Amino acid sequence: MPESRLPNIRVWLLGALVVASLLMIAFGPVFLDRFALNVLSRSMIYAMLAVTVDLLWGYAGVLTFGQAAFFGIGAYATAMVLTHLGSSPELLLLAFVLAILVPLVLGVVVGWLSFGYGTTPLYATVISLVLPIVVTQVAFSGGQWTGSSSGLVGYATLPLSLAGYFRLTGICLLAVAAAAWIFVRSDAGKVLVAIRDNEARCAYLGLNASRIKIALTAVLAGVTGLAGFLFANASGVVAPENTGFVFGTELVIWTALGGRGTILGPVLGTIGIDYLSASLSGQLPFLWKLVVGALFVAMIILLPNGLAGLVGKILPRSKGSRGEGGPLRQAQVMQVPQDVVDKPPLLTIHDLGKSYGSLNVLQGINLTVQPGELVSLVGPNGAGKTTLMRCLSDGTESISGSVSVRGANIAGLAPDAIVALGVGRKFQVASVFDSLTVAECLRMARAARYRPSLVHSSQELDLPSAAVEILKLTALDGMLDRPVSALSHGLKQSLELTMVVALEPQLILLDEPTAGLTKTERMTIGTILKKLTGELGLAAILVEHDLDFVREISSRIVVLHQGQLVLDGTVQDVVNSELVKAIYSGGAHD
Amino acid sequence: MTILLDVITTAAILFVVAAGLLAIFGVLKIINFAHGAWLTVGGYCAVATTGMGLNPWLALPVAFAVGSALGGITEVLVVRPLYRRPLDAILATWGLGIVVGQLITLWFGRDVQFTPNLLSGTINVFGLDYSFYRLFMVLAALVVGLGFAVLLEGTRLGLSARAVIMNETLARALGIDTAKVRLTTFMIGTGLTALAGVLLTPLTSVDPDMGLAWLIGAFMLVMVAGSSFGALAVACLVFGGAQTLVSTFVSPVLGGITVAVLCALVLRISPKGFARA
Repeated sequence: MPESRLPNIRVWLLGALVVASLLMIAFGPVFLDRFALNVLSRSMIYAMLAVTVDLLWGYAGVLTFGQAAFFGIGAYATAMVLTHLGSSPELLLLAFVLAILVPLVLGVVVGWLSFGYGTTPLYATVISLVLPIVVTQVAFSGGQWTGSSSGLVGYATLPLSLAGYFRLTGICLLAVAAAAWIFVRSDAGKVLVAIRDNEARCAYLGLNASRIKIALTAVLAGVTGLAGFLFANASGVVAPENTGFVFGTELVIWTALGGRGTILGPVLGTIGIDYLSASLSGQLPFLWKLVVGALFVAMIILLPNGLAGLVGKILPRSKGSRGEGGPLRQAQVMQVPQDVVDKPPLLTIHDLGKSYGSLNVLQGINLTVQPGELVSLVGPNGAGKTTLMRCLSDGTESISGSVSVRGANIAGLAPDAIVALGVGRKFQVASVFDSLTVAECLRMARAARYRPSLVHSSQELDLPSAAVEILKLTALDGMLDRPVSALSHGLKQSLELTMVVALEPQLILLDEPTAGLTKTERMTIGTILKKLTGELGLAAILVEHDLDFVREISSRIVVLHQGQLVLDGTVQDVVNSELVKAIYSGGAHD
Repeated sequence: MTILLDVITTAAILFVVAAGLLAIFGVLKIINFAHGAWLTVGGYCAVATTGMGLNPWLALPVAFAVGSALGGITEVLVVRPLYRRPLDAILATWGLGIVVGQLITLWFGRDVQFTPNLLSGTINVFGLDYSFYRLFMVLAALVVGLGFAVLLEGTRLGLSARAVIMNETLARALGIDTAKVRLTTFMIGTGLTALAGVLLTPLTSVDPDMGLAWLIGAFMLVMVAGSSFGALAVACLVFGGAQTLVSTFVSPVLGGITVAVLCALVLRISPKGFARA
């Protein structure tokens, strides 16, 4: 593939934009009138908020109206300090610290409420609706402390002129936007997209998605609080509507119109719409709101990625990086040594039972798996195979009996903690990240082991040798920069298997890895599995319907029937068993 | 005793307000954030009807007709393309609510409007003088609730709707015209919401933002109720009761956020809320 021969238009545009904004920040006050300076200072503060909304919604997929609440808290904290305590430099510093710290701490609480294990995506939105309503009511009922419905006004602020505030907010906006721009391109930024795409897969790659989203919420709440500090100083008035739910929806509207999932879009969208609103609302207040509302509806339906999405389609794309700018990155594969396998046994299942109400899906399962074994789990549909796999990889399932991995009982452990014990799970339907490239997917599998950088975007890809081998066998090594959405079904299956192996697990759980694959693809997967267990000493448990495949690769076969383990033996034992023949011909219903 | 009546009538009002939202969420799995706007439309139907010198009760059928007509247009133009993007549907319907609100403002102006009371005076209940109209709302809630029960249990549309609620793919495979079920449900939901807007007029003032105050409460109650009208009735009684108690004994300001906060906590503990799913 030819590397970036064309000079990259995007990089040039971006550079020009940064220079232009710096010039604007420096010389804007020279030619802008008072009205424009005032409004633009406010618009730029709002644009900082839009960036935080965009990181949560456009990148991490969490639709939030709650940024208004954190903003209001930051602004109120500032105004309350300056009104009730005074405005000496020390107190201004205190206001600054509180404006960031209070939202940050509250952000942790809100994040914990919103993203507990097993909560739905909608629930985070619900919480983000309730939060501004609560904060507004608190502001209303705060009496003298918060100024009730008229808010706080007339306190001393930072000793800056109109031009000074314009420059200060401009620099802050530029800093926030630049930090966000760098972050979303970093390895850590890709984790957000991975969580948005497929949170379950993230958990089974050992990533604690809840904790990541809580951290994101908290940090962005802090940034929002900083914007609140600026606002309280620049505007000199803080009122309940600055913290309300309606303001929260406006932030989302600006972000959507500018273009979610980009940094520049929401910034320009917010400044443009807020400035136009201020200029036009004098003459046609209702008509203008009507136009914005109608545009918003049309945009959500027809152009979900906003104006920036449209521009992104028109501008030439930089090859391989899907519109990110920067030179083509050819991932380089390096080999790292495989972990040494522990002493046996790897997995001990003792008297495992699982029931849904009065229906017993699994009963009295006892099984021990040693390193190097390739155990096939067979049985007719409804025997409980997939349920058993789930009980082995998710400790939060309510079960009777116990499951231990390398001697540790997994009861109560979330999937990511079990991955940390050395268990990798491959799902029946290929579970990968459709918005990422092959290399980025594989990097995700390493993210739990090696903390991804917040600023740096890796050019290399470090993988254990076994994973490298699978890439070569499946020819995926030549497609590292290809978006996953363009892969065939078989390649996605192989990619997921590679991701699981890249976790360096000691036990791999595979749920029908060959379903829907061609004969050749099956052979490849079979070879890989034999190699992983036979040569590298991993253990694997495989759910499989294809008995020929099972016979060829297994070292041991376990037969599950009506939730019970009816046979456990070598390939020969099982293949010649009358019981198995009876089960598969549908006879053995006891 | 007054407290008890307050609890029951508050629950009834909440039920009437939230029923249309629940009908849509239950069948379409779409959160209609234009709900507040439909309530406002209903309120202005009352203003327009009485403005023309007609009987104020006539506003009820007018609001239902206007609400369902607008709902039909909305379903086809705005909601239909977004069934696969439920979060975007929240936003698009919210945007639509802004548009409707601004159109109303352009037409009727920003000022608060007043409508004649549908039923005035008090009535003696167990030796207490109590607002006749608030008690009438209990009747209205019962009619709405029973109406939906009959509609769901007794009609072909109800049967189809229940099939869509349980398993939409299967329903479609069985030859049910799910698009039609959705359209009809949406129209009934918005019509009913506009009707609720008329019923609210004696209790609140009519202005372009009147629906907004009810949106979040209704939304939270529906989240807790899932797709069941029985669960909604229970939720209205429990949370409406809590709201009345907090407003009376603690502070009206805290009372205003009781429903939202309690619902959020219930959903945190049991994500399915009160629905027996």
